[in-house]
This record gives sequence, structure tokens and C-alpha cells, in this order.
Amino acid sequence: MSLRVLAVATITLVIAASARPIAHDIPNDVIVHAFLKPDGQRLHLLVRVPLEAMRDMDVPQRDRGYLDLTRVDDALRTAATVWIAREVALYEEDTRLGNLEIVAVRVSLPSDTSFRAYDTAVAHLRGPRLPESTDLYWEQGILDVWLEYAISSDTSRFAINPGLRPLGQRVTIALRLLTPDGRERAFELHDDPGIVRLDPRWHQAAARFVHSGFEHILGGIDHLLFLLCLVIPLRRVRMLVIVVTSFTVAHSVTLIAAAYNLGPGGLWFPPLVETLIATSIVYMSLENIVSASLAHRWLITFAFGLVHGFGFSFALRESLQFAGSHLLLSLVSFNVGVELGQLLVLAAIVPALNLLFRFVVAERLGTIILSVIVAHTAWHWMTERGARLLEFPLPALDAVLLLWLVRAAMVLVAVAAVVWVARVLLRRKAEGPGPAEAGRYVREQVGRSVRL
Amino acid sequence: MARRHLRVGALLVITLGVLAAADMLLQQAVDAQTNGGMVRAPRFEVDPLWPKPLPNHWVLGSTIGVWVDERDHVWIIHRSSATLSNNEKGLELKPPTGECCAGAPPVLEFDPNGNLVSSWGGPGQGYEWPQSNHGIFVDHQGNVWIGGNGAGDSHILKFTRSGKFIAQYGKAGVHRGPTNAEGLSTYAGNSNDRQNFGRVAKIFVDPRDNEAFIADGYLNKRVAVLDANTGMMKRYWGAYGNKPDDTNLGPYNPDAPPAQQFRNPVHCANLANDGLLYVCDRANDRIQVFQKDGKFVKEQFIARRSLGEGSVWDIAFSRDQQQTYIFLADGRNHKVRILRRDTLEELTAFGDGGRQPGLFYGVHSIATDSKGNLYTTETYEGKRIQKFIYRGIGNVPRTQGALWPRS
Repeated sequence: MSLRVLAVATITLVIAASARPIAHDIPNDVIVHAFLKPDGQRLHLLVRVPLEAMRDMDVPQRDRGYLDLTRVDDALRTAATVWIAREVALYEEDTRLGNLEIVAVRVSLPSDTSFRAYDTAVAHLRGPRLPESTDLYWEQGILDVWLEYAISSDTSRFAINPGLRPLGQRVTIALRLLTPDGRERAFELHDDPGIVRLDPRWHQAAARFVHSGFEHILGGIDHLLFLLCLVIPLRRVRMLVIVVTSFTVAHSVTLIAAAYNLGPGGLWFPPLVETLIATSIVYMSLENIVSASLAHRWLITFAFGLVHGFGFSFALRESLQFAGSHLLLSLVSFNVGVELGQLLVLAAIVPALNLLFRFVVAERLGTIILSVIVAHTAWHWMTERGARLLEFPLPALDAVLLLWLVRAAMVLVAVAAVVWVARVLLRRKAEGPGPAEAGRYVREQVGRSVRL
Repeated sequence: MARRHLRVGALLVITLGVLAAADMLLQQAVDAQTNGGMVRAPRFEVDPLWPKPLPNHWVLGSTIGVWVDERDHVWIIHRSSATLSNNEKGLELKPPTGECCAGAPPVLEFDPNGNLVSSWGGPGQGYEWPQSNHGIFVDHQGNVWIGGNGAGDSHILKFTRSGKFIAQYGKAGVHRGPTNAEGLSTYAGNSNDRQNFGRVAKIFVDPRDNEAFIADGYLNKRVAVLDANTGMMKRYWGAYGNKPDDTNLGPYNPDAPPAQQFRNPVHCANLANDGLLYVCDRANDRIQVFQKDGKFVKEQFIARRSLGEGSVWDIAFSRDQQQTYIFLADGRNHKVRILRRDTLEELTAFGDGGRQPGLFYGVHSIATDSKGNLYTTETYEGKRIQKFIYRGIGNVPRTQGALWPRS
């Protein structure tokens, strides 16, 4: 064996011995930061991932197991390829982008803050590497990757399927899209969200939210019980249309208000709304049991609909990021989905109730039995949720609280005034005073003003 | 009909008028209140459900260190079984006396939701675990630093996040003196020792210069600065930047002229973004501010008539770029005080003695996360960590008591 062969074999052995495999447990929580920026005919994707999520890698190490930064580039590039570039799927106008280039890859300290903004992240990726003397363990480092894709136009609509689920037990992706007009849109994606349309067309957003609303109402047992209470004594189409429309209008108002951050943001608010939703079911059940007049049920339904709308908004909050530039449309679509779900439920309940009351039990007795069962369930919800609400101490009765109450009262009085004026005007228009009567009215008013 | 309309209309107008007048009067009252006893400062409320229960029937001992890393993971160090009475650790006794409990490992890492995600610590090969661990810090390279204030603790330790030993700086038990009447070793401080320490309370690593600032400590009376990679001591100083002197100063007297040396313990040394170092001179009831080279800048006394352990236990900075506020743990008075960092003026304080959420017993250490939330740990029989959720800047009274959820 020649000396040369021996030398090569020795060096290979040394390198192999120092490039030890990193094979740790799957981390519990992995947070990925990413920027996506279409620019001309290139789409830039910057990704920051903790290195502890990159497992089963051969990593060059030096004394004490620190990363050997003189030889780490290949391992980083392999990690970027295997764990990120191959997994992330990007789409331009529904066509998957394939032409990808790894522009830069580097390791960073865990304390590095350059991914707070796109420009500083780019500067960091272009900037000097860590000094070779840095003592850093693989599991404590950060991998920064810059990927570039060829695209047709930066004004296209893009979608992403992150595919980063294998990185950890729970994966959170904080993605920011920077559009050519300078806007920035933030997304928080969890685990495996599938294909996410970052700038959906109106019909895509609408379809998504109709589906979401439909699913929500069918899965929301308390909303369904409220609906059941409404229709037990009300099964004629005309009355149903009035009451359901009233509920729909009311919950749409508060749902949209909450989406535009017009609702209270306190920790006490969700338990309050949940308690009131349970209370609404108890109240409706009791009304059914005591056979109260149904003439004003639309009004009570409207009031409780306002509360249920806030309840819907809690469910919708996290998915509004998928609305793109169609926030209002998405909210309306969600309401449409809720309505479709309600109609489906009504279509099932009303005939079932009719059959029940016709063949099984007399209507009055059946109404009472069903309402008692519902009231019993809702009563437990109300007390459980109420207990959670009561964990929040009542606000102190001080000048600040009084001021808030006075201002709330002013708003209510103003609303009452507007409603009253509108009612008077509508009634007057409906009555349509005849010419003689109108003339007498005018004379009365003029005479009175003269006397005054 | 018209007469009725007029009456209703008049009633509405009058009601609105009365409400508007009430609004004006109340606004004046609120303004007066704001200008009087109120002050603008960060607002918090306690999160009574953080952290989540520990597994394995684990309980905390005296909890004497907290830090929040770059991922907003909260690290604490506590004294575990050494500070648990037998009726707290029945599971550990031989034979076990009950179904619960056992001391948790000394180092615990929680994720932002309060889940315990790792735990380690204790004696091991290649290093000397402190007799009484004290203070924890996670540096910019992700390494975990630990001090100790046990009788013979004259060293500090560095580990990886997963608890793998990296380095020990200083040796244990080097300042041993003669044995006392009970046959126990006594120890004397040596604040001019460049190789060892004297019961280190806290460590802070400056990422820019890769220097570790050591609050040294319960036996020594100095701030020491190390090269964070090698542990080599680069410089040290005492109060006002003086050469440290280990002479016993006797008990603190609030009416005496300010002591020219630190009293034990020197309990924190935290570096701000602008390069100013804030040192907790605990028993002297004061913060002293230095430049990184040890040049004295200014000092501020806090609750100056506090005797015994003193009022300035630990500090944390608010997370805005300017680090406008200092949060100060005052274990003597069972409060967290909020100061302006530029003037060191106290704006407000919250908490009081007690065991319910938001109250304290020996609030010892304090740290902030990137969202501005505050974490405190309690020593003695306090034995817990609490989280205070940041609720923005607003008008708050000068004294706030327990910050229970309100809004």
C-alpha cells in the first residue's frame, strides 16, 4: 500500500469519526419562521428552523461535540434539502413550482433576531458566517435557508403546502407574505394545514368559509339546541322564516363586529358569552314550557342572536387569516354556511316534530317534555360556564366604571331614539293622512307654533 | 298623538342631556384620579393556571432562579428535596410514607403554555453540583449557567440545554477556613480571587462581547466579568467601582452614610441593551449602575428602611427596545416594583404577602418573555413560579395589591 493511499485512508477515517450522526428524539414544539416574497420572476422563500428538528444527520463536530463550523456547510445544505426544500410545495396559480434553487444556507445563534423583518433576514443570510471559534451545539443552533423559485409573475396568486409536519410533535409556522404592493400578510399555520391559498380568489375564500360555517353549526350542539327550542312550538313556515331571519341578522351583526375588533377583548368576555348562550337555551325552553306568547319571539331571538354571533366569532377567529383580501365576503360566507346548516337542521327537525306530535305524544305534552330535557342540559351548561365566569372578580364600582355605564346608556338611548323616530315616520307613511286630515294637522301645528 | 310624540321626544332629549352632564362630571373625576394617585405604567394580571401541574408527583422546593430563553421557554432552578420537609416528600422517604410527593429535578424547562418540556440537574461526572444551587441563565448560544450559594460553593457551572455538562469555572470549597465550635467548616470571602468565586447568586452573559457578568455573591462582594467561552476572569469591582474589600460591614443601617462596599449578597448583575450594568446590592437596599468596564454611573435606594434581607433581590427589563422599565423583585416586602430605567424612579408596585395567586412569599427572581409577560419565583416556603400576563401600558394606582384578572 502506497503512502498516498494510506494518507487518504487515514484522513477519511478521521473525517468519518468526527462526523457523528445526530439522532435525537422528535422535539415537542417546533416553531418555523418564514417569509415569502414574489419579486419579478423570482419567488423568495426564507425559512428559519431550529436545528434540533433536523434529525438523523451526519454532522461534523469538534472537541466537546461543538459544531465544526469549518466543515458544516455540506451538512446544512443536506438538512435544508432533505427537511425543507423537498417538503415545501409552492404553487403559482395552482401549478406546483418545481424550478428551485438553494441560494444560501447558514447556521445562526439561537439569540439571533434578524428574522423579525424580511430585509434584515436577507442581510443576515448574505452576511458573514459565524466565527469558526464559536462554541455551538447542533441542537442549540438555528438553520436559515434561502430558497428561490422561478415564477411567471409576482402578481400571480400563490399557495403553499408547508409539509413540515415531520419536524416535531407540534409544528407552528409563522409565515409572512410580502406582496409587490408593499403589504404584509401574516399566517399562523399548525402541523399539516394542507394547501393554503395565500391570496385566494373571492370564490375560493367564499367556498372555504361557507364550508367552515356549515361545519361549525352542525358541530355546535348549543346552537342546535337553541334552534330546537325555537321551533318546538313554531313550525309554520311564515313564523319560522321571521324568527330564523331575525336570528341570522342578529348573529351576523355581532360576528362581523367581532371580526373588526369591535367586541370587548377581556378574558372575561368568552365565558360571559358562553354563559349567555346557555342562558338563552334555558330561557327559550322555559318559555316553551309555560306556553308564553310567541308574538315577540322574533325580538327575543334577535337579542340572543347577538350573543350567539359573538360565540361564532370565537370559532372563526383563527381562520380569518385565510380570507385574503376578502374579509367581509368571508364573514358573510361564514354566515351563509351557518344558515345552510340551520336550514338543513330545520328540514330534519320540523317534519320529525310534526310526526312526533301527530303519532306519539300530544303537542302540548310533547313540547313540555322536550323543553324540559333541553332546559335540564342547558341548565348544567349555564352553571358550569357561569362558575368559570365568576372566577373573574366583579369590577370595582368606581368613576371609571360609572363613566363606562353612562356612555353605554347614552348609546342605548340614542339607538332607542333613532328606532322611535323611524317607527313614527314609518307609521305615519303607512297611515298616509288624507288631504283634509293633513291640512287640519298642518293648521294645528302652525296654530300651536303661533301660540307658542 | 302629536302631543304624545312631543312628550316622548322631550323625554329622550332630556335623558340624553342628563347622561351627557353625568359623563362630563365623571370624566372630570376620572381625570382628577388619573392626575392624583394614578400613574402610567405596564399593567399585568396573574395567570393562576400557569404552569400546568408537574408529572410524577413532583413538587418544587425553594425556587431561586428564573430565566426566559429566546424561544420564550421559561427555565427555573430550585432546591428540590433539600428544602422539602418530610411531609412534603413522603414518596422519597425510605420506606415511602405516602403516595405523594417527591422533589422535582433542580432544573425545569417550561414551554410558553406552561407544559414541562425538560428536567435535569444534580450531581454528575466531571463537575461539582452546588450545595445550594442559585440563579439560572440561558445564554445566546443556548447554554445554561448555574451558580450556587451553599457554604462551600465557589464555582459556577455551564450545561447544554439538555443538561450535558460543558464547563465548571472555579472549584468548590476553596475558601474553607477553620472549623467552628460545631465542627463545621467556616468560609471566608476573597473578593480578589481570580480563579474562584464566593457563592454566586446570578449570571448574565453579554452576547455582543461574549462576557459573563457574575453577581458574586453571598460570600464575595463584587461583580466579576469572565470570558464566556473560557471562563477566564477579565476584571472585577466592588460598590462604586471600588476595589472590593471583604471586611464585615455589620448590619445595614438606613440612617448611616451609604456603604462604600457591597453587602452580601450581591444578588444580580443584569446588562441592558445600552451597555449599562444594573447590580442588586440586596441588603443595602440599592441598585448600583455601572458601565461594562466597572465605571460607576449612579445608584438608587429602594424601600430604604427595609432591614434584614434587604429590598433589591432581582431585576428584569421590559422587552421594548429601550427597555423603558425595570421590574424589581423585593422579597423583603413581598412586592414587585416597577421603575423607570432612565430615572430609577419607582412608578408603582404590585403584590403583597400571601399564598394566593398574585401574592408573594419571598419573591426572589424575576424575568420577562418576548411578549412582555412577567415570571417570578419564590424562595423559602414560597416554592413556586408565577406568571403575570402583560396587559399593555395604562393608568394604574401607585400601589396595586394582588393583580387578579379584571379585564
